[in-house]
Amino acid sequence: MLSLWLRRFSTDRVARSHEISAPLVIAGKRGSVEILTAADDAARRLGLSPGLALAQARAMHPGIEMVAENAEADAALLDSIADWCLRYTPLVACDAPDGLLLDISGCAHLYGGEHGLIADLGSRLERSGFAYSIAIAGTIGAAWAASHYGKPSSYACGDERDMLAPLPLSALRLPSATVTSLARVGLKRIGDILDLPRAPLTARFGPEVLRQLDRALGYEHEPLTPRLPVAPYVAEQRFPEPIAREEDVLAIIARLARRLRPALERGGDGVRRIELSLFRTDGAVRRIAAGTSRPLRDPEEIKALFVERLAALADALDPGFGFDMARLSVIVAEPCPPEQIGLNGGQDAAELCRLIDRLSARLGPRRVRRVIAQDSHVPELAETALPAQAVNGDDAGWKAFRRYRTDVDLPPRPLRLLARPEPIEAVAEVPDGPPLRFRWRRALHEVVAAEGPERIEGAWWSEHGGPARDYFRVEDKSGLRFWLFRAGLYRDLSHGADAPAWFLHGTFA
Amino acid sequence: MIEQLRQHLLVLRKMPGIEDRPGTLPLGIPSIDALLGGGLVRGALHEVVAAGEAHLPAATGFALGITRRSAPSPRLLWISEDMALAENGMPHGAGFDIFGFAPEQLVTVSVAHRRELLWAMEEALHCRAIDAVIGEMRGGRTDNVATRRLSLAAAESGTPALLLRTEPPDGVSTAATRWIISAAPSVALGMSCLAAQLVRNRRGPTGSWILEWSDGDEQFILATHAQPVAAPVLDRSRRQVA
Repeated sequence: MLSLWLRRFSTDRVARSHEISAPLVIAGKRGSVEILTAADDAARRLGLSPGLALAQARAMHPGIEMVAENAEADAALLDSIADWCLRYTPLVACDAPDGLLLDISGCAHLYGGEHGLIADLGSRLERSGFAYSIAIAGTIGAAWAASHYGKPSSYACGDERDMLAPLPLSALRLPSATVTSLARVGLKRIGDILDLPRAPLTARFGPEVLRQLDRALGYEHEPLTPRLPVAPYVAEQRFPEPIAREEDVLAIIARLARRLRPALERGGDGVRRIELSLFRTDGAVRRIAAGTSRPLRDPEEIKALFVERLAALADALDPGFGFDMARLSVIVAEPCPPEQIGLNGGQDAAELCRLIDRLSARLGPRRVRRVIAQDSHVPELAETALPAQAVNGDDAGWKAFRRYRTDVDLPPRPLRLLARPEPIEAVAEVPDGPPLRFRWRRALHEVVAAEGPERIEGAWWSEHGGPARDYFRVEDKSGLRFWLFRAGLYRDLSHGADAPAWFLHGTFA
Repeated sequence: MIEQLRQHLLVLRKMPGIEDRPGTLPLGIPSIDALLGGGLVRGALHEVVAAGEAHLPAATGFALGITRRSAPSPRLLWISEDMALAENGMPHGAGFDIFGFAPEQLVTVSVAHRRELLWAMEEALHCRAIDAVIGEMRGGRTDNVATRRLSLAAAESGTPALLLRTEPPDGVSTAATRWIISAAPSVALGMSCLAAQLVRNRRGPTGSWILEWSDGDEQFILATHAQPVAAPVLDRSRRQVA
């Protein structure tokens, strides 16, 4: 377990973007007082530490530079550092507000062991202008304690007990009230409570103290909550020289996809959603995801998805000085039936899936849709368009619809249905009859023929069901055919219902 | 059950026709098919232009009608600009059913820009699994190079491509045919009746007809009814007001 603490995180963030000449402090409101929330090393040497009232700090040292606190910018920066840390391990957790926890089990050998990893991470952070403190230990608790209270880069696997003993009790991540009351009875260091009888300690200070101690020592498990779900299949490639050209990136995608294939075949899985992470030399991470409509394994097809995705990116790849690492992670995998060859129908379906994937990758999955029949009698709810990638091959709804249509001899439905019924001004001969003429989108239509009504009840069981509708199919003088309805019945007026209103809902060929 | 058998029969009856002439898409009306040299060219771009904004539903019907015979149960890709969808409404699956299109075979695509529409159409034309591609756009200019590419892609794959629009494009066009469609008064309200004007035909003369969609045959027929002197007497089982 690796704990990274960015000691001067907020001030480093400001110093990275501005030229700072005077000691820098960051202040924010706590209640009605403005206090220092962060101070850089120069300010700390002057005796200005977080928690001090801003007015007091100003009185002590009028020359200091003050910047208002910006918690969102801090969080965003921590997030992007966490993204960047994905180059070391997929298991990265944010330890807000200024730390990260990395599960580096099985990853350190890529950097020549834990010390090599610490050196690599440290030098990169230093180049980016962060003061840091890194610790590797067997447990989250011990690593955290060592990074926050121990030496700037320490490694303690196996001797957590000795490492923890001299550290203060607040290194156990205890509430400050508990630490104060422990100090009141003379318990100040972790070593002080290591060998105390457990029962009286728990009785007096609550179970939290020993739980945190047990977690730090590894007697109790502490789970790490990674920021991103861990991909079941991952392939990655580091480059000695940064790459920048789009063709190179595509070639790398194909190579990584080829490397994923045997693992996918062993697991009997195919790709449903895949993500490409490109690590830029300056620390920015570009993540590009693509979805598929059926489980995929073929490297060429995976590459084809990214061809479209890259084409759709408005600002292209923005490689800056180049990418020094690429990773292809399968985010969603699904069991993939063994390939079928020879059946013509199957080939056609696969072709269609490929087309849908390509269109979805370029235009966005929500723009490529299939029409699905829904279990509703209200026309606008009777069918819905869902992303084609999600509902591939689901046609049970339409079978039911056709059965229903022949059973009840359903009157014809319009060819085009407006997104929502549009209000029209209509004049009807008799209250319950079809309109004589109506005005829609500012054009007057004289009705020469009408058919109806087809009454469609609102969803009376729901508060928002709306009134009953009487639908009419009408044709105007020039032969335009419309689907209109009157919402509400005149006979309900006496029960206090709203006056009926006319709407146009669709058009026939 | 009978409906199903009838469907089956239709499929059986139509299959040989399609196999016989792979290059054309007959409308099923001898006079028009003769004019077109056996039917619409399959692998080509055709323009279906609505006579006005209000006539777009009729043009939609015509576009569906002529692509109906592209396969026993055509797999259709319907690509529209966002604006067109907002103005004209979404393709309604239950309504497509009347034209003999199975809604589950329909894939709709909405695009924000015209060049995406043309790109998506070209991609779809390269796909063997698609039987017909319809691109719906509002007025305005189209890129001649893009439509030329569409024509070539259609010719290569033999898949009919239709551009459905509300006003004819200015300048030259690479389309094989251009139709101007307006709604026509129907004799009986149930019929989809429309006036089709062939204003451009690469293979021969032009012409204009009044067509009617026949549900039973799933094809257009010529509306030969004389205009009645008196209001037509509509025989309708359902309650209706004329």
